[in-house]
Amino acid sequence: MPTLEFAPLFWWGLPLVAAPVLIHLINLLRQRRVKWAAMEFLLASQRRYRTRVLLRQIALLALRTLAVLGLVAALAQPRWRTAGGIAGGDATTHLVILDDSCSMGDTTGAEADLETDAAAGHTRRATAFDRGRRVVERIAADLAATAGRHRLAVAVTSQLATSSDELPPLLPLLPFTDIAPGTIQTVRDAVGRAAAGDGAAGLREACPAMRRLAAAAGSRRVVWLVGDFRSRDWLGSDEPAATLRQLAADGATLRLVDCAGDGPGGNLTLERLEVVGGVPAANVLLPVDVEVRNDGSTSVRDVAIELREDGGGRPGVRIDEIPAGGMVSRRFDVRFTAPGSHTIEAALAGDVLKADDGRQAVIDVVDRVDVLVVDGAPDAASGGGAGSSGDGFYVATALAPGAGAATGLRPRVVPPAALAATDLSRFACLWILDVERLDAAAVAAVEAYARAGGGVVFFCGPRTRGDVVNDTLHRSGEGLFPVPLAGAIDLLPDAKAAAQTPDVTVEDHPVVAVLAGQRNPLLDAVRIDRFWAIDRGFDAAGHGVRRLLSLRTGQPLVIEKTFGDGLVVAVLTTAAPEWNNWARANPSWVVVLLELEGHLARLRRRAESVTVGEPVTVRLEAGVDEPDVHFLVPPDAAVVRQTAVPTSGPMLEATLPATAHAGLVEARWRRLDGTERQRSFAVNVDPGEGRLERAGVGRLEAALRGVPFRYDRAADVAATAGDFAGRPLALPLLIVVAALLLLEQLVAYAAGYHPVARRPTA
Amino acid sequence: MTRGSRRYLRPDAIARIHRLELRARAVVEGALAGLHKSPFKGQSVEFLQHREYVRGDDLRRVDWKVWGRQDRFTVKEFEEETNLRLTLLVDGSTSMDYRGGAEAVPPRPTKYDAAATLAASLAWLALSHGDAVGCGVFDDRLRATVPARTKRSQLASICEVLEAPRNAGAGDFQRVLRSVAEALPKRGMIVIVSDLLGDRDGIFAGLQLLRTRGHDLALVHVLDDDEIDFRFEGATRFEGLELPAHIACNPRALREGYLAAVEAFLAEVRRRAAAVRCDYALVRTGEPLDAALVRFLSRRASVSV
Repeated sequence: MPTLEFAPLFWWGLPLVAAPVLIHLINLLRQRRVKWAAMEFLLASQRRYRTRVLLRQIALLALRTLAVLGLVAALAQPRWRTAGGIAGGDATTHLVILDDSCSMGDTTGAEADLETDAAAGHTRRATAFDRGRRVVERIAADLAATAGRHRLAVAVTSQLATSSDELPPLLPLLPFTDIAPGTIQTVRDAVGRAAAGDGAAGLREACPAMRRLAAAAGSRRVVWLVGDFRSRDWLGSDEPAATLRQLAADGATLRLVDCAGDGPGGNLTLERLEVVGGVPAANVLLPVDVEVRNDGSTSVRDVAIELREDGGGRPGVRIDEIPAGGMVSRRFDVRFTAPGSHTIEAALAGDVLKADDGRQAVIDVVDRVDVLVVDGAPDAASGGGAGSSGDGFYVATALAPGAGAATGLRPRVVPPAALAATDLSRFACLWILDVERLDAAAVAAVEAYARAGGGVVFFCGPRTRGDVVNDTLHRSGEGLFPVPLAGAIDLLPDAKAAAQTPDVTVEDHPVVAVLAGQRNPLLDAVRIDRFWAIDRGFDAAGHGVRRLLSLRTGQPLVIEKTFGDGLVVAVLTTAAPEWNNWARANPSWVVVLLELEGHLARLRRRAESVTVGEPVTVRLEAGVDEPDVHFLVPPDAAVVRQTAVPTSGPMLEATLPATAHAGLVEARWRRLDGTERQRSFAVNVDPGEGRLERAGVGRLEAALRGVPFRYDRAADVAATAGDFAGRPLALPLLIVVAALLLLEQLVAYAAGYHPVARRPTA
Repeated sequence: MTRGSRRYLRPDAIARIHRLELRARAVVEGALAGLHKSPFKGQSVEFLQHREYVRGDDLRRVDWKVWGRQDRFTVKEFEEETNLRLTLLVDGSTSMDYRGGAEAVPPRPTKYDAAATLAASLAWLALSHGDAVGCGVFDDRLRATVPARTKRSQLASICEVLEAPRNAGAGDFQRVLRSVAEALPKRGMIVIVSDLLGDRDGIFAGLQLLRTRGHDLALVHVLDDDEIDFRFEGATRFEGLELPAHIACNPRALREGYLAAVEAFLAEVRRRAAAVRCDYALVRTGEPLDAALVRFLSRRASVSV
């Protein structure tokens, strides 16, 4: 139903409408008295014109009253809404979604725009979030002075992104509040408590909750999206357009307020700080990659990266030049002597976005990393000791060569029968060597392990039965084993160029990258006598199988396939120098196996990396650990208590639902025996937040084609602009007032209320 | 000169009208010879005509010489000039007390003041020509009268009457004029100075009576400019001077109707004055009274015989 709305000024000015009546009454009181002789003529005139005079006086009074009413109404910014609730009844609901993602900490273009940090007691450059806060305050102030009833609610994207899927999101920052001059301070206080977080949850991530929230906001609503509108959020996803299209279709007025600053940008982002190999064990060198991305339009030279280990300084690294839009990584080694959680931190010199200039990683160093070696040889029960010459011996020896070469690994060799009864989750990876058959329980356990992110390596040899592998492990691609086996065949010598052509060729894969490139004499020395050929009709590439090593005949020798979250590698020959000579005094054997172990275990180790906004989960052992876990969360180590709940397995899980700030999250709990345990998690910002390229209004319009919206820069926004508050009627009303005054003059003239030069002749 | 004569006789006005002759439009009966022709024929210096003797004629006026020569009886008629007997009747009713033009400089006189000034001026003129002048002030009756005399002190007597305190009430013209007709057996000239606000049928019935008695009548209609133009502005409460009525109004709203009523009133007065062969002149208190007198006397001179 159409609605006519006025600013509160209207109600203050409404008494002025009585002014013409009051003036009329005052004139009656102030009328002069005249002793008059010619009363008969006056009485005659009154008798003749009584009705006409009365009507004209009423008309004049009405016209003057209407003119004053129109003037008051015109000054009260009247607006006419053709949609909405009952006139003067329903309020217009303004839902402000304030982006508090990490990128809102951008200070680009704020050289002269300073913000007073009350907590720190100094001024600093204003961030995009600071501008967003000002926008919200301005919206509230404008609405307080705007016609009609207005309700305002403010939500930040980090809250919306983590809200429940079923219910309208809560609005802890500012619930729906009727806006009046007295509530502006309430709004100011509310947004003053908010700050840009370290999370990646921006307006795009808040879209689902935004839809639910807007649906609960009433029939007349204006949705304000106050953010930085980066290209990566708005140009690479259809969800924002779909959400806004739905909101517009539901009748919401959309206002997009861009708070990002103008300027060259030039942000550097610490893209990655990651242990890229090695075994996280005491006294083992761990290679760590640190990678820096340059999102600026010009190259950056002489970039220094400061490094810290467990809070203490260590030599940093320097990058000579990072090209525009490019990434450069540097590798350094760390070694921790004691088991436990260790921290490494990297930091860049501050730039326009400080949040992405630091990164940290937690390395849980153990005394030794257990790996399980399942040896199908009959003497595997002996544990693959030094006297053994089976596959297990060669694998175990390669993984743990001895005191002189600390790998940090502790292989445990077991027979296939022990597999089902072993808790596989304790092991970094599984090595299953030339096993004739695995029972169903063992297959299920291994598959569960792999699905959960574990790495499994199969070696095939004389005990391997192709049909069993195909039936129990491959299962037409459904199972763990990457390929179906056809049969074991000999690799015949190359009659044409036997002396020059190596039996093994290296494929493009990080595990064998150290052997790639020019001819490697170590690998050239490897001779393959026999191997398991795969079914010729199997489309390996079509099933996601990737080669690591191939034979000179073109047939695969070592292949890899993902399974669930894990990886499975199949070596189609023996580990022991039975079908080949690789493990016999060839150093490349040890190198490849250690690389392979690191490659397989990497997935499990990477899974512990947490980005701001993601939950942090601690796995506890039922019957060993107490379920209460205290999480100390950044930035001020506030304690969040969580109780672990059972999972599908024998484990308990305690989860910190969402992290809001980058830093170290420390989980502390007790074991039933009273000992205290703790584990640290590095929570880092999403490096994508460092991509500060703005979408801009042109590309936004293209991305949101068909969506009616109004785009404003933060400095230009005005709540009363646009048509959400209806069509402004001030000018038409002023025209009506002018017409009324003109009509009043005409009526007054017609009523004779004007001087006349006419004079009767004597 | 008495205080009253000083008040109502303005030297400047009198100087301008001195050369004018106040002539009666018709011959009136007078006791003194003067410039005015007598309506009556009798023994006089100037022979007028012979006419046939009719029964009842004075035998002393028979011209025996004609009888001796022509053997028929004729009588001689002589033209005889007589003095004018001028009676001034001034309306002293309450309505004549209206004074308009409060902001005017100099202030306008009340209608009564203007009427008295006009009456005194006419009296002076008549006396200066040897005419007998009488005066009366009336409202619902004749309140004060001065019989017609020619003596020079007559002017002072008239002015005293004009200036005497009035017991103002509503005017009753018919009654007054009837009493005047009875009090003036000889024909003469009667000038009535009034605003004529009242019973107009009574007014003209009285004028008709006087006309029947042979009097020469002149009606000087005195109205204030406000009453003619009605230039009031702003909320005003009009309270009747004679009528017990009041009107609170915006005068502009009633102006049109008022002016129409006034025009109708003035037209009626002119028409009915002409019907009884009564000279009529409208005098505005806002205009110079000498000019009003000049206009009045010029008008009478132009129609005099």
